[in-house]
Amino acid sequence: MILITNNPKVYDDPNIGCDKEFIDGSIKDVLVAVRDRIHIGHKLLSHPLSGSVKPNETPYKSILISKEAGNMDWDSLQIIENSIEVCEKFVRYPIKCGYNIQERLLADFSEVDYQLIVAALASAANK
Amino acid sequence: MKLELGHIHIHDIQFDSVSRVENGTLFVNAEELREHLLEDENIQSVSFEIARPGESIRILPVKDVIEPRVKVQGSGGIFPGILSKVSTVGSGRTHVLKGAAVVTTGKIVGFQEGIIDMSGPGADYTPFSKLNNLVVVCEPVDGLKQYAHEKAVRLAGLKAAAYLGKLAKDVDPDEVEVYETPSLKEGIEKYPDLPRVAYVQMLQTQGLLHDTYVYGVDMKHSLPTMIYPTELMDGAVVSGNCVSACDKNTTYHHLNNPVVHDLFAKHGTELNFVGIIITNENVYLADKERSSDWSAKLAEFFGVDGVIISQEGFGNPDTDLIMNCKKIEAKGIKTVIITDEYAGRDGASQSLADADASADAVVTGGNANMLVSLPPMEKVIGHPEVANVIAGGFEGSLQQDGTIVVELQAITGATNELGFNRLSAR
Repeated sequence: MILITNNPKVYDDPNIGCDKEFIDGSIKDVLVAVRDRIHIGHKLLSHPLSGSVKPNETPYKSILISKEAGNMDWDSLQIIENSIEVCEKFVRYPIKCGYNIQERLLADFSEVDYQLIVAALASAANK
Repeated sequence: MKLELGHIHIHDIQFDSVSRVENGTLFVNAEELREHLLEDENIQSVSFEIARPGESIRILPVKDVIEPRVKVQGSGGIFPGILSKVSTVGSGRTHVLKGAAVVTTGKIVGFQEGIIDMSGPGADYTPFSKLNNLVVVCEPVDGLKQYAHEKAVRLAGLKAAAYLGKLAKDVDPDEVEVYETPSLKEGIEKYPDLPRVAYVQMLQTQGLLHDTYVYGVDMKHSLPTMIYPTELMDGAVVSGNCVSACDKNTTYHHLNNPVVHDLFAKHGTELNFVGIIITNENVYLADKERSSDWSAKLAEFFGVDGVIISQEGFGNPDTDLIMNCKKIEAKGIKTVIITDEYAGRDGASQSLADADASADAVVTGGNANMLVSLPPMEKVIGHPEVANVIAGGFEGSLQQDGTIVVELQAITGATNELGFNRLSAR
C-alpha cells in the first residue's frame, strides 16, 4: 500500500508503517496525484471523498492506493475522476473562514482525516 | 415481532422541583438530571435550556436529537447495548413522549454541526422546530480528546432521554399504534399475492464523528445484517454522527424512521414489508464491495421483489449507494434510492459523486448547497460564533444584526435522506 497525503499528522505518524508520499498542496493536488498513479496502474483502496467534511472546508486528505501497478483499473479511475469533479464543484464557492487562521480548527480537520484513514488502515490490516 | 407504541402527547416543557408528566406537560427537575449526567467523569459541566415551537430561539451547534421513550412491557430496555442490556428489543410495549425531544449541543470540534431555529424561515427546514426541546449543553473536562468528547456528549443525550422517558412509564397513552412483522414463512402464507419489499438502510460508519452503533456495536466492524423494524423504535440504532447536519440521521430519525412507518402503513394492503437490512458506509473500498455484495445477497435470500435504499451522508456513501443499487438490481430486484443533492448553489451541477443506469428511481431530500438567510433570534443557545465555521457557512455568514446566511446543509435535518423533511416539491 501507498498512502498519499497532505496531512502532516498522518505523514509523520510512525505507527502508520506503509509507504507514504507527502503532497505539499491542496486536497485537489492530492486527488490529482492519486489520479496520476491510477493512470500508471495503481489501484484505489480507500474512497477519495472520505468524510462528510466538504472539500472546501477541510484542507486535508489522505488516500490509500495499491503498491503494485498493473493494468489500469477502470473502477478506480471512475471514482477518482468523479471525486475530482466534486472537489472542483465545491472549491468554486467561498471557502469558509477560520480554518486557515484558527489553529484549533486546523487540528480538528487534521484529526478527522487522520481517524478516517486509521479506520481504513484497520480494514486493510485484516486482508 | 409485535410492538405497541403508546404515544403521550407533550404540548409544553417546564422546569420544576419534581420531574413528571402531567396533562401533556413535561416537568423537569434540572438539578436531579444534572447530577445524573455529571456522573460521567469526562463531563465538566451541564446546563439545560428549553426551546419551544414558535419561540425566537436558535440552537447551534446541534449534535444529536433524541426522543424520550421507555420500555413498559417486553424484553430489553431502550438503547440496548448502550444504556440497557443487549437483550433483543422491539416487542411488547413502549411509551413515547411525543412532541418532546432532548437536543445535545457542544463544540466537539471547531467546525460543523447544525442549526435549529424554533421560528422564522429556518424553522420550516427542520422538523425539530416543532418539538418541545430540552437542550443539554455539555462542556467536557479540559484536554478531553475528540473521540472521548463525542462519546460523552452522545451518552449524556441518551441518558437524558432515558431519564425523561421513564416519566412516561405509568402514564396512560393518548394514542396506541401497533406494528407487527411476521416471520418470512408467515408473511408468505399471509400475503401470497402482495409484492415483498425490504428496506436497505445504509448507516454512516466512516470513523471519528461519522459512526453509528447497533446494539452498542460500532457498525463499521459489522457485516450487513437484518433487523426487525420495531427494534429501531426501541433505540437499537444510535447516532454517533456529528458531521453534515442536513443529511445526518440523528437518533430521533432512527427512532422515527419514516421509511419504516410508510412501509408499515402499506403493509398487508399494498405490499408485504419483510424487514430491514442494515449496512455500512466504510472508507476502505474492499469493505464497500463486501458490504454491497452482502446486502444484495440478503435481499435475494429474503426473496423480495423490491427494496428501498436510504443513504446517510455525502461523497463516500454515494459509492455505497450506487453499489447497493446496482448489485440488488442485478439480482432482478427493483430498487428505489433515497438521497440528497450537492448540486451547487444554482442547482445545475451533478448531484451525486457516483451514478449508474440502474439507479432509475430516485427520491431526493433536496439541494444542500441552496443558500438560506436566517434572521436574528432573540436568544441563541450554544455557540453563535460557530456560524462562521459551521458546514455551509462562509466568511461573513454571521452578520452584525445576527442574521446568518448559510447553505441549507447547516440546518439539522434539512435534506434528510430518510425523507424526514418538512418541505417538499409536491
